[in-house]
Amino acid sequence: MLALLGGSASVGLAGCSALLSDDEDDEETDFEVSEHAEKAQAAWERIIDNPGPDAEDTRTEAYIEIEEAVRDDMVLMPTHHSKGEFFWYDYVDIPKLGALGRHHLQHNRTEVEGDTELNLISATFDELDPIMSTDTASSEVIAQLYETLTTYPAGVAEVENQLIESFETSEDGLTWTFTLKDGVQFHDGQDLTADDVKYSFRRLAESEYSERVNFITASTGGLGIEHETDGDGGVVPDSLGIEIVDDLTFEITLNEPNPAVLDVLTYSGFAVVPEGIVGDIDGYDGEVSHDEFRTEMANGTGPFEYDELNPGEGMRIVRNDNYHDTVASVESVHWEINEDPESKFTYAMEQNADFFEIPTSYYDPSLIDAETDDSGREFGTYGEFENGETTSYLAVPELGTFYFAFNVSNVPRPVRKAVAYVMDHEEFINDVLQNRGTEAFSFTPPAMWPTGQDGYEDWVDEWPYSPNETDRGSAGDVLEEAGFTEDEPFEMTVSTYETSPAFQELGELLREKLAGLGVDANTENIQFSTLQDRGEDGDLEMFSLGWIWSWPDVAYGHFGFEPKNTDTSRMPSETNGYYLDWQVNLEDES
Amino acid sequence: MSRWKYFFKRLLLSVPVLFFVMTFIFVLLRMGPVDPVAARLGPEASGADAARMRERLGLNDPLWEQYLDYVTNFLTFDLGQSWVIYGDMDVIEILSFAGPPTLWLGFWAILLPLFIGIPLGFYAGLRPNSGGDYVASVSGILWQAMPNFWLSIILLAILRQTKGGGWLGFDWYTFGPEIRSITGTPDLSFFSGAGIDWSMLASDIKLILPPALVLGSASMAAELRIGRTAVLETINSNYIETAKAKGLTNRVIVWKHVFRNALIPLVPVITNEAFLLIGGSVIVESIFNINGLGRIFFLATIQGDLPLAGALLFIFTVIIILLNILQDLLYTIIDPRVGYEQ
Repeated sequence: MLALLGGSASVGLAGCSALLSDDEDDEETDFEVSEHAEKAQAAWERIIDNPGPDAEDTRTEAYIEIEEAVRDDMVLMPTHHSKGEFFWYDYVDIPKLGALGRHHLQHNRTEVEGDTELNLISATFDELDPIMSTDTASSEVIAQLYETLTTYPAGVAEVENQLIESFETSEDGLTWTFTLKDGVQFHDGQDLTADDVKYSFRRLAESEYSERVNFITASTGGLGIEHETDGDGGVVPDSLGIEIVDDLTFEITLNEPNPAVLDVLTYSGFAVVPEGIVGDIDGYDGEVSHDEFRTEMANGTGPFEYDELNPGEGMRIVRNDNYHDTVASVESVHWEINEDPESKFTYAMEQNADFFEIPTSYYDPSLIDAETDDSGREFGTYGEFENGETTSYLAVPELGTFYFAFNVSNVPRPVRKAVAYVMDHEEFINDVLQNRGTEAFSFTPPAMWPTGQDGYEDWVDEWPYSPNETDRGSAGDVLEEAGFTEDEPFEMTVSTYETSPAFQELGELLREKLAGLGVDANTENIQFSTLQDRGEDGDLEMFSLGWIWSWPDVAYGHFGFEPKNTDTSRMPSETNGYYLDWQVNLEDES
Repeated sequence: MSRWKYFFKRLLLSVPVLFFVMTFIFVLLRMGPVDPVAARLGPEASGADAARMRERLGLNDPLWEQYLDYVTNFLTFDLGQSWVIYGDMDVIEILSFAGPPTLWLGFWAILLPLFIGIPLGFYAGLRPNSGGDYVASVSGILWQAMPNFWLSIILLAILRQTKGGGWLGFDWYTFGPEIRSITGTPDLSFFSGAGIDWSMLASDIKLILPPALVLGSASMAAELRIGRTAVLETINSNYIETAKAKGLTNRVIVWKHVFRNALIPLVPVITNEAFLLIGGSVIVESIFNINGLGRIFFLATIQGDLPLAGALLFIFTVIIILLNILQDLLYTIIDPRVGYEQ
């Protein structure tokens, strides 16, 4: 029995902590909570009301106002932006990756000298159906098999046509007319037509298997395509605003003008599959069962075709000689599914993986010899490794932000500010992250800062909470003013999730720095899904999380700050913002 | 109470245990704080997406209905589907590919210690307090003290550096059957209709040796120490004195009397260790990247795939209950004292 209980302990313990913290600190606080929620709410409403291309300045201003409100109320303290680091042996030639991540990289331009197969490492993934794909591991594979209308080549944030030849927008910005490339064929030889696109988009909106319906129906953080909803909130079959003009031309109609249409379309859920291949939406019987479509076959327009998938072990795809763009030079690509850092590193050192990432325990920043290019990427060499090899090295600032946030109604503003005062970004990046990330002073990453690089630098200069130093003095002052002292401290729990040791270390560091100043912090480690759950219940105080942009649109990050959208009592069905409860400070709380 | 009545009583007792465990798993699954829908969809999903998935997975049915479904399904070995790790795949299908590598690993992890631990223990027991005894006992204790995850990492680091010669002077990759990587899942297709493919069998064995050695390390040391004590006890017992007095040669005494009797206390030790293997395989399979039940159980718990974790927990429970019954059966057969009232 012992072994059995040992195995379930992690689940059981997480349950206990959630139950225990329920009955803590329920009394109302009289402390100053925040004062900028109104500003954030107004700014967000202005963004929604001004979607057109001519209102870009209005939106830019509003985005900055939201960042200011977040900073001044300190509802969320950004810690770092993510940085992707890649290593590859000198016999491999791979396109330089961009900020949107390796899952946008198609391997038809990758070359491997002396081998016909490209060998990669992947995390576990469970499906090849584009509308089910929500993780980067499966989207990396899906990007080789299926294609979207537009794409970010190698993850660089400049959108390009992939399956379309051209597009036109109506004057009101609501109707988009797309013309597909002529002569594109699916792996089975059928020609790509507008009907296939309509079917694929309908699946994303209507299929019970779709995991990102909001990416096609929602106006913010999505495409915002016209549709009718039924009583349960589902999309009425065949009600999407897509009109077939001819074989290669179709029109889509939006609810509101959306400047990010071409960007949203790069998401793997919008990948085009042949019309009628699965019968999971009204009007189609399906040629294959959904089970088969999910893991045992693929029929897309991508540069590679399905060969075999061994769940939990590996996946192999082979070259599509009939590809409409550059045909690949490698004959096949193989992914070894490997999640453990030790085992991944071993696999890479054996030269079984041509292109890899390395775990922090084997990472030595002094072995990097790299130069920074115009877009902030560091490119050069790393080595030598224990196997005597020196590899190519690329570090890419990615569009991801990691942070500590606060549930505003559980943690008073002076405490939140004190945390920001003692936070030393530089120390954290150097000592804990070993430089595997960049300092973050804003939620929006510098690469997509609305007022550009100069604007971002001004923003950092104005950061009020003693940047890059541990300012216990100022922290003590704000706390004392609010009546928190060493003898009567504010007690709070800092929740971090199990899979991020860096946050655990930072949480511990902040706890020590605040000790004796009037904040008595406890740290706890919980499962990621438990953290999300408790966040939705409003049952967190200070907690770590992150946000990764699927396309570079500021609004697709800022929607989570709209104070009314952070109301945890209405999560998860009516609101989907960050777990802040910021709405409690609105005059008209609704 | 007769021995067999005792045995059947033990057998019956396992039925409520099974129900208790199933109920426990159900409570964790449906009423615990981990929301599998949130785990599956991630933070970018909207509430509407989550609501639709909840409906599809049957989470909106009344709780008692879910419980009845769940119990009848489990008892008929319909173990449901994974929700996160292998979205919608039947647990039975997952077992079909993840079960064999775990059994293969477990088999070697039991076999290796038997053939190293017990002979060493007997060797030490027959030469008590000699230099050889000290070396064997001390290294046994040291070996047992080293945690599995640490042993695994060290073994990986040493073996991968032998590639192309290296500083150990031998190349593990080309030694015997050639292997591409020291990590990974054994193929296990050596047995087919045409007979056994020996070279495939050899590379499968070679692949499993390092993790099996690590997994069996604790048992190996325990067997060494218990084997030593058992031999010592037997040697000093009266009937051995008698045998000596009768003028039997040392060889006959050791092989015929000491070894057979010393094996008895080792039987429950060995079955008990099978329990440890189930827990230990979680770490060893992860580090050696073996696509087995242990690794999948680990992934399922950290990623909140509760149906999969629950089904695996149920299977582990059934295995452990079966092992318990087997142990009782062995006791009943071997030890005549079992079942007698005092």
